Amino acid sequence: MEVVCVADLWKKFKIPHERRTTILENIAGALQMLAGKTFTYEEFWALKEVSFHITSGESLGVIGENGSGKSTLLKILAKILRPDKGKVETNGRIAPILELGVGFHPELTAKENIFVYGTIMGLKNSELKKRLDPILQFAGLERFRDAKLKNLSSGMQMRLGFSVAIETDPDIFLIDEALAVGDFEFQQKCLSKFKEFKNEGKTIILVSHGLSLIKEFCEKTLLLSRGEMISFGETEKVVNEYLKRVQAT
Amino acid sequence: MKSLTIKEFKLRYRNSALGFFWSLLNPLAMMGILTLVFSALVRVGIENFPLFLLPALLAWRFFSIGTSMSLWSIVGNSSLVTKVYFPRWLLVLSSNLANLMGSTLEFLVLLPLLLALGMKVSWLVLLLPVVLAIEFVLIAGASLPLAALNVYYRDVNQVWDIALQAGFFVCPIIYSASLVPGGYALLYSLNPMTRIIESIRKIFYHGALPTAWDLLIPLVGGLILLMLGYAVFVKLEPKFAEEI
Repeated sequence: MEVVCVADLWKKFKIPHERRTTILENIAGALQMLAGKTFTYEEFWALKEVSFHITSGESLGVIGENGSGKSTLLKILAKILRPDKGKVETNGRIAPILELGVGFHPELTAKENIFVYGTIMGLKNSELKKRLDPILQFAGLERFRDAKLKNLSSGMQMRLGFSVAIETDPDIFLIDEALAVGDFEFQQKCLSKFKEFKNEGKTIILVSHGLSLIKEFCEKTLLLSRGEMISFGETEKVVNEYLKRVQAT
Repeated sequence: MKSLTIKEFKLRYRNSALGFFWSLLNPLAMMGILTLVFSALVRVGIENFPLFLLPALLAWRFFSIGTSMSLWSIVGNSSLVTKVYFPRWLLVLSSNLANLMGSTLEFLVLLPLLLALGMKVSWLVLLLPVVLAIEFVLIAGASLPLAALNVYYRDVNQVWDIALQAGFFVCPIIYSASLVPGGYALLYSLNPMTRIIESIRKIFYHGALPTAWDLLIPLVGGLILLMLGYAVFVKLEPKFAEEI
């Protein structure tokens, strides 16, 4: 069964030369356009013609230089951004951990955040009550359950995000460089959790610059450069290609 | 849904020493000031002005605070919107529900005061939930497009502030709808908020039953607004995460 299927995916962003966020500015901009002045933004294709698919039990690594479109791809898979063209199909519950954190509110306590996030992910309240302690325990934050999130360190926030996301029982795990903030002990904990995950036949999609991590967990790897898909296939092969490209420049 | 609503409710009063009491102090202070102005300085000759004013004021607060809070429900939750996918209207609805909780509490807590002001005890009070439910539809219908537009244009907030200030005088809060001259009366009575406020006033002040039109006009208006508002919201929703 195919877990993720991406076909001919395109995503465009607009880079404004002059940011317009008020109605007046927009009217002024429209008038300028009428007067024959040029458009005030340019188009930027963050992803061009990306196609790949992974079947159940497989995990995917995404590599490429900064700004190559890795995070954009993950956000599209998480349905946060919509593609301009192409089709994305995913099967199963997705837990995204993007750019440190999963969408917590700084003014709420750790416990309250777990409840808000858990319900958004579709867990029932009774289920969440049961899972509250394991979540805090995994994050190592039992003592901080009633501390406001803004008072936790960035590492602690990341750990909490990770723990909640794991406990929501996702079928597909999207991880964007999130591991880097955790300390060594927590990283080890996460890695063993990943292994458990993989053994259950679930899918991990990992964006990372840590090539050894990708080699360890991902059967398939996708190499992006400036939004274009350079190659997709067996991890060993793609990683070597990446290294060659880096050395060539 | 429940946790989102509770979160909104808690956040609203967090970091303030008096918390929910502000929700009571504000209408009470307004009532005091307006009563002073309109029954002592400018004599409008309305009998028992505090009782005339307070229920209308609470109904207006339900609408004005509800819409102006939910205006921020998408932008204010940018950390959620840019990190997880879920139907975005849930944010607007939870903000509205938190506001419903707040306004219901205001009515309940101020009920003894209303009685002390001379409100007659009657079964009419049982109609209050119906009127508030209809007003809720209206609020939700206005909130959806406002919250969505505010993502794209932050000055929606300013525009809405002016609209609300105008609304305070356009709706029969500090005067009676019967004062509006014949020529405008029909147009005036088509304003759904006019009907809501008049209904509330009939229940608490006149001790009379709201008419069928009093409830139908805001209900139908609210449902139309809700459909239009939802259509706007759905149209703008795909780019929220980029524009926020």
